Amino acid sequence: MPFFAGDIFISDVYRKPVLDQIGEEIGKLKDIMVGLGDPFPAVTMLIAVSGKQIFLIPWDQVNLFNKRVISVNVLRKDLQPSMPAPSDILISRDLLDKQIVDINGAKLVRVNDLRLGDVSGKMCLVAVDIGLRGILRRLGLESRGEWFLSLFRYRMPNTLIGWHYLQPVEPKLSRLTLTISRQKASKLHPADLAEIISEVSQKERTAIFGTLDVETAAEALHELEPSVQADIIDDMSKEKASDILEQMPPDEAADVLGDLPENKAEELIGLMEQEDAEEVRELLEHEEDTAGGLMTTEYLAFPPDMTVEDAIRELRLEAPDVETVYYLYILDDEERLMGVVTLKDLILARPETFIRDIMRSPVKTLPLETGQKDVAEFISKYNLLAAPVVDENMVLRGIVTVDDVVDFLLPTASRKRRRKL
Amino acid sequence: MRFVERIKNTFVNNRFLAVLSVIGPGFIAGNAGNDAGGIATYSIMGAREGYGLLWALVLMMFALAVIQEMSARMGVVTGKGFGDLVREQFGIRVTLAIMALFVFANVTVIIAEFAGIAASMELFGVHKNVSVPISAFVVWFVVVKGNFKQVERFLIAISLIYLTYVFSGVMSNPPWREVARQIVIPHIRLDKDYFLLFITMVGTTITPYMQFYLQSAVVDKGVRIDEYRYAKFDVYAGSFMTVFIAFFIVLSTGTILHPAGVIVDSAENAAQALQPLAGDFAAHLFAIGLLNASFLAAFVLPLATAYGLSEAFGWESGVNKTFREAPQFLGFYTAFIVIGAGVIMVPDAPLIKIMFLSQTINGVLLPVVLIIMLRLVNDASIMGEFVNSKRMNVITWFTVAVLILLTGMLLVTSFVYTF
Repeated sequence: MPFFAGDIFISDVYRKPVLDQIGEEIGKLKDIMVGLGDPFPAVTMLIAVSGKQIFLIPWDQVNLFNKRVISVNVLRKDLQPSMPAPSDILISRDLLDKQIVDINGAKLVRVNDLRLGDVSGKMCLVAVDIGLRGILRRLGLESRGEWFLSLFRYRMPNTLIGWHYLQPVEPKLSRLTLTISRQKASKLHPADLAEIISEVSQKERTAIFGTLDVETAAEALHELEPSVQADIIDDMSKEKASDILEQMPPDEAADVLGDLPENKAEELIGLMEQEDAEEVRELLEHEEDTAGGLMTTEYLAFPPDMTVEDAIRELRLEAPDVETVYYLYILDDEERLMGVVTLKDLILARPETFIRDIMRSPVKTLPLETGQKDVAEFISKYNLLAAPVVDENMVLRGIVTVDDVVDFLLPTASRKRRRKL
Repeated sequence: MRFVERIKNTFVNNRFLAVLSVIGPGFIAGNAGNDAGGIATYSIMGAREGYGLLWALVLMMFALAVIQEMSARMGVVTGKGFGDLVREQFGIRVTLAIMALFVFANVTVIIAEFAGIAASMELFGVHKNVSVPISAFVVWFVVVKGNFKQVERFLIAISLIYLTYVFSGVMSNPPWREVARQIVIPHIRLDKDYFLLFITMVGTTITPYMQFYLQSAVVDKGVRIDEYRYAKFDVYAGSFMTVFIAFFIVLSTGTILHPAGVIVDSAENAAQALQPLAGDFAAHLFAIGLLNASFLAAFVLPLATAYGLSEAFGWESGVNKTFREAPQFLGFYTAFIVIGAGVIMVPDAPLIKIMFLSQTINGVLLPVVLIIMLRLVNDASIMGEFVNSKRMNVITWFTVAVLILLTGMLLVTSFVYTF
């Protein structure tokens, strides 16, 4: 059973010596043969070259396989030189440097490096590297390049595309299609999908979005840079666009609409369902980078004279529609904020207690016009998951959840960069 | 109705029309080889040696045709540009090395083209601060806004303006008998000046950007394998036209300037020298030719460079594409024009140094490109049945060997001048 490191790039092992049982060099690693399996092609042979001789070594004879040592369980003198057949798939010969095209056949980028990894105990080809990092690694300059770019405060991203998103389109594999079929795309994490989408050009992006179902599209859209979001929405059919906007949390939808020309935004809001449209319209009135612009209008609100038991029952009904369930806001008849009950408070309280008796009061609140940085600091200072936003009469207008301001809380370097082309 | 259809059929089946529809890439690539630097070389050749190097031009025509034909064939058969094939067959290191040289050499040549535009327009009294930005804008606008067909027609039309050189050549009224004699029985001298001019001519007539452009343009145009014989005609016609024009440039300066003993060191210089000896009209024709040559090459070079880069890194490319569809391709195209025109606007830019530098780099690049080309064109896994025949290989290897030898020598001399 071969013992191999979890993740290895082909460029890490290319031309490394392959040693036999007694440590004698068989040759340099020239290529790796894979069998086309689903979803990941498993390694079947190592190909070592010594002078003009080519040796094929079956993967199950491999002892150690990592960046430093490749050793196999055979003796050099027992090996017979042989040739791979033209129909065999050699990843370096047949995949490296080849073209990746999108579903419409437009060229995107080339394969700069290939990553092998462990898939349920088997060494498989798992991803292709399409980034600058891959090129530098091929040249043996990855760490020096990283250091150099860090002088310009640039952090090189890892740009890998999983093999399962790629499909060979030509028999010799010289072109790979990035396939984002409806089926595969819905299994992707929205952040990964956003990463792939940011790699393709505008036209293809819209095409890809066209194939997604409304829910997936809404989630993926949320991960993209606001101006890109607006471009995509702008190119879509109005019906589809308004469906996607309805699916998004109102604050996100308002952000996207805020970047569109006013008449276009107005038209899309007009096509949305009454209730969603009103919420979005309200949010659009606030400056984008204030508490009013950041907040969502979907929160849990309860009257003070409800019992804990009733509140929990009510919570079950309303929870699916709101962003956060950890805070229940207690409002009086005029929607003024009286207090807050955490989910923990609610669960721990006796069922017949009135909410009024367990609520925490007074509540720390934010005025509508608070700047986004101050909102972030407020949430951080009081360790909140969400902060209530009120108008001058203490009427609760919405809440800002921590995920909307988390970018301002993290140090610059580790801040999640929204993807932009 | 029947009548209209019959006329239509006659025309659609007409071979002449089929040829016309395929013609373009070879014709344009060849003519773009007669760029500002080329015209300077030919002018100097005529002025210094008279008809003494005409024989070499005839040989160059064959060398050019042989090499350009391979480029066109690779484009038609594989549907891929030269940058694509190099990256796929030779890996990232070779690709990066070639692209670095290619981009650097081409940028310097682009600067030289805008210098040619500036110099020729100054002969008509237009300041470079006017002529260079306007021409740069036109070059940018036509490619970014036009589609492939329009751009190609535009470039073919420009190529035909080269015929002004034929006029100025004929107007100089050369002794045709003597010209013919010099071609058939050349009087070859074995001194340094003669030889230096000879190898400079080789270096300026066959340049890597022509092969890159030709192959990419054939691919961008989508020439099919069954149209290959027309594409071949296109290449041969282009090679002939290129050398035909060069021939008449040598004729005009060789007939007028050489006997008068006027020594020139640039194309605009030659145009100025022609004026007192051959009159305003001949001089103006010559200047228009230079303007036109620089202008055409100012299109082809940024295009060739942007094609090459996009192919090497797998980005979408094509004249038909918009900025949204092919951002890198058009972005680089724009950048090269801005750099080329920008350097000319800088007062006191060391243009002579830049031109020698570009000659040196092209001299390094050409042998690499030619050897890679021969290896690709003989690889059956890429070219299938369209690999070079044995006879073709003898011809091409011989041509390439001679070219490499000559550019090697040119390299040594221009290296000496550069440093």
